[in-house]
Amino acid sequence: MPPALLTTSLVNTIQIGSLYALMALGITLTFSVMKLPNFAHAEYVTAGAYAALIVSLSGVLNPLVIMIAAFAVGALSALISHLAVFKPLEGRDVSFYTLILSSFAIGLIIRYILFTMADYFNLFDLRIAIPLRIVLRDGNLILSNLFAWVVPTSVILVIILTLLLNRSPLGREMRALANNISLARVIGIRVERVKNYAWLLVGGLAGVAGALWGLQTAVHPLMGWGAIISVFAAAILGGLSSFSGTVLGAYVVAFSENTVMLFLNANYGLDLAFKPAIPFIIIIAVLLLRPQGFTNLIKRAEELQR
Amino acid sequence: MITIDRLTAGYGKLEILQDLSLSFAAQQFSALLGPNGSGKSTLMKAIMGLNTVFSGSITLQDRELIGRPTEAIPPLGIAYVPQRENIFDELSVLENLQLGARILPKAERPAALNEVLGIFPILGRRLSQRANTLSGGEHQMLAIAIAWLSKPTIMLLDEPSAGLAPAIATDVFRILKELSAAGITLVVVEQNARRLLQYCDYAFVLREGMLVFQGSAEECLKDEETIKGYLGVH
Repeated sequence: MPPALLTTSLVNTIQIGSLYALMALGITLTFSVMKLPNFAHAEYVTAGAYAALIVSLSGVLNPLVIMIAAFAVGALSALISHLAVFKPLEGRDVSFYTLILSSFAIGLIIRYILFTMADYFNLFDLRIAIPLRIVLRDGNLILSNLFAWVVPTSVILVIILTLLLNRSPLGREMRALANNISLARVIGIRVERVKNYAWLLVGGLAGVAGALWGLQTAVHPLMGWGAIISVFAAAILGGLSSFSGTVLGAYVVAFSENTVMLFLNANYGLDLAFKPAIPFIIIIAVLLLRPQGFTNLIKRAEELQR
Repeated sequence: MITIDRLTAGYGKLEILQDLSLSFAAQQFSALLGPNGSGKSTLMKAIMGLNTVFSGSITLQDRELIGRPTEAIPPLGIAYVPQRENIFDELSVLENLQLGARILPKAERPAALNEVLGIFPILGRRLSQRANTLSGGEHQMLAIAIAWLSKPTIMLLDEPSAGLAPAIATDVFRILKELSAAGITLVVVEQNARRLLQYCDYAFVLREGMLVFQGSAEECLKDEETIKGYLGVH
């Protein structure tokens, strides 16, 4: 494998892994607090990407404004899907499977609203209008301004989310809900309010991930859906419960899709068309061999630290 | 004081408590006794809004509790320690305590946390540990501490000694006695009637959802018929 290819694939691993982490943390948070594997999560990503695209096309090129718009639109789509569908269904004590199917349904609804809108305004396959630049060139290493945007933004958001969950009273209440929701009610936590905040957070992070995703590829109504299996693979590697495990899982999935794929291609002639199979292989392998993902490894590491 | 008036309650369509009327006097340490399935836990859950109430009323100083969501009950001064899953076992001991104190005004929380470590000194040595690493006795102490931290006027405890070694159960009862002496109204469900009757002031005995005895702890201990008929010999 040529060194230039290796370096490029590692840069991609970091860049895409950071985005997967941002999306997958939302999946893990939804699963642990709301007890829901939410497949509509993909569409909050797409909605955020479109919000960013529209803001950038309107001539506002300040990346911070773009990110805030993406956060807001992602957060609102998530809150609306909770209030309009998940909350009423939970009130009727429906089964886990009904909730999963309803998440697919909401996902389809949002996706095709975006399709209709993209069709009407002709917003297919456009890039968010931030010009591409090379910011660093050092031998084989080439970094664009996208890398300079995507990686620090994702890393900072992951750190903020971790601090929020572990250090703030709201985060403590979210973890209390995740751990034992009936006791949370008994000690007076306003469960519905905490859930609403969690949905805003989850959707907002997905929206920002969409905006960052749209910086590097074209914005399209199917972009979130296209990434969702990789993102679920990352969350499953985190055992759908551990946040650090999910972040690690995101980089493992990105590494497999980029570096490992290129390695197999260069050395064994494996066709690059197999790339979409990688997250499925990871999901099946984890579920068969290690359903708890990285969770126990991380717990053990934490205990060793103490 | 909590007054239960003609309460019929249960789960789903199942009625467990039948037209039950009784009242827990302020600052009294009451035992809620009776065989399995007599409705002791059902009564506590009805007060907390955790099950189905078909008819009747539950009032706290003339305020109706029925119909309020569970999370609206602790701010009224009622704390409940469920029998199982009564701590956040994935969180640290300190976080459990912080969650217990969350309904207090911010300024009062540090003092309350200090005070609780005075009552339960063992928890002070475990603050950074995950709560699922605690022993059975420590676990139960933590559950009581979480409830106490909301500075309740009334504490409802569902079998706080379940699964504990006798010596540790005695520690738990001794602490409950202290809390009672400090002016908190206590209602405690217990299987081991004789032991609890050594500590409490008053006893209610339920059977098949109805009240079959009430009186002071001494009267209850002397009442052979109640002891043998409903409580079993321990």
